[in-house]
Amino acid sequence: MATTVVARPVARPQARARDEEVLVWPDLVFIEFIAAMLFTITLFFLSVVMNAPLLDQANADVTPNPSKAPWYLLNLQELLLHMNAAMAGIIIPTIWLVILGAFPYFDRDNEGQGVYFGTEGAVKITIIASAIGFFGTWLLILWDSGKIAFFLNDWFQLSGGDSLRFLENARSMQSQLPWPDWSREITYLPFNLRILDGTGSGGPTTFQHLDFPGWLVEQAIPIAFIVGLPSLLIYGMWRMGLVVTRRDALLALFGGFVASYGVLTLTGTAFRGQGQELVFPWELKVSEGIPGQE
Amino acid sequence: MAVEAPAKPTLADKIYDKMFHNYVWKSIFRTGYPNTPRNQMLVVATNVFLHLHPTRIHRTHVKVTHTYCLGGLSFFMFLGLTVTGILLMFYYVPSVERAYLDMQNITTTVQFGQLMRNMHRWMAHAMVILVFLHMMRVFYTGAYKPPREFNWVVGVILLVLTFLLSFTGYLLPWDQLAFWAITVGSNIAGSAPVLGPKTRFWMLGGFEVGPESLIRFYTLHVIGLPLLAAIFMAVHFWRIRRDGGLARPL
Repeated sequence: MATTVVARPVARPQARARDEEVLVWPDLVFIEFIAAMLFTITLFFLSVVMNAPLLDQANADVTPNPSKAPWYLLNLQELLLHMNAAMAGIIIPTIWLVILGAFPYFDRDNEGQGVYFGTEGAVKITIIASAIGFFGTWLLILWDSGKIAFFLNDWFQLSGGDSLRFLENARSMQSQLPWPDWSREITYLPFNLRILDGTGSGGPTTFQHLDFPGWLVEQAIPIAFIVGLPSLLIYGMWRMGLVVTRRDALLALFGGFVASYGVLTLTGTAFRGQGQELVFPWELKVSEGIPGQE
Repeated sequence: MAVEAPAKPTLADKIYDKMFHNYVWKSIFRTGYPNTPRNQMLVVATNVFLHLHPTRIHRTHVKVTHTYCLGGLSFFMFLGLTVTGILLMFYYVPSVERAYLDMQNITTTVQFGQLMRNMHRWMAHAMVILVFLHMMRVFYTGAYKPPREFNWVVGVILLVLTFLLSFTGYLLPWDQLAFWAITVGSNIAGSAPVLGPKTRFWMLGGFEVGPESLIRFYTLHVIGLPLLAAIFMAVHFWRIRRDGGLARPL
């Protein structure tokens, strides 16, 4: 006998089940029409009762505090507070979009399509991953804004003293640990490498010295969290027997993403006040930046 | 044998007849309401607006809870934004001297101007949300699986285009909100390693948000990005049909 040939399932449109079909007119066209009407009417009434904002004329000399990007970018602006700007603003979103686009090339199984949560344990995985993503992101934000240390001190009179001060948030690892001077400027290139002399705000990009504590806080720790925690989540769920297939892994990843994306957007929108301080939404005030006026 | 005389046409019948059975009407709508399955399929197959659809569809796919119409509504938002956007373009000049004044004009003196602007704004927000929810629907129904892999990629590109469309529109009112949001947003783009500052410069047409940025954002917003999005949408919809319609259980 010849060796068994295991054929990869070829991606072909499914055969049609004619007897299970209904006519597009009127069955589908009617639904589309109703949905379009519902949205038109709802948005019409929303537009009648609620005006789009129009503030004072643009003025480069008057900076509102806080200045915020459009709401759907506030997740990135929130990340920006916790790490290196290039990483938060460009590298992480770009890599994530590539990963997102690569989903179907990672999970090529045909199983579980066409119905919500079609695979075994899908709902469970989604709930657990979303919950962990939700609370985990909140915890990380609270920790990095120093609120956890503040609450521990304020509510329970717990204080680590100066020796544990470096655990207050990520930034304090840079400022509160006795880093030797040489570690703040480790020369790793014997010559000065300039890539694209900077135009504008960026300034010239030089690659020569490494500020180790800064690198640790702005890049290493955030990368470790952003790559490590989802990996740990999937690994843990795999050890628990929840995640078995690639689809399960994607369910965990996507669930966690949606939850933390939501938390980041919400925090950036409703919980960041003046100076990007973490405040409650009802304490959120915007100073228009008019000189002499708070 | 007496034959029953046909009922006399009522006034309503006469009006109906005059309205829908005249020469002009029939030149536009060649047939009446399609009330046989054959005609109903023909309507979908031969109508320029409806022929994106197949003529028949699996019965599970007409359940609203299967898709919540999210993809279709995203497209509908795109159409609505085009209509309201064109109306706004009549009154808006993308120059630093006039942009803000035109916005004030639109909201105060132009008939229904405020309404059009509100519709445009809320529809834009709705579109971003709907596109994201559509992505979630597709993911959780496993509809990216073979043979629909590439259409998922096209969808991710359309998601990015939606963000860009909304972002470029954000600057146009030329108020403080617009100016500083774009300043923050473009600073994020400018922070990219190596290419960041150049990217920011090309995006804004200068070192900071100014007249050049306004015309760039405007042009991208009203013609560049919509065209690009329309092309990807055409591919997206075409691929749905090619890949056998909506995903359904094996």
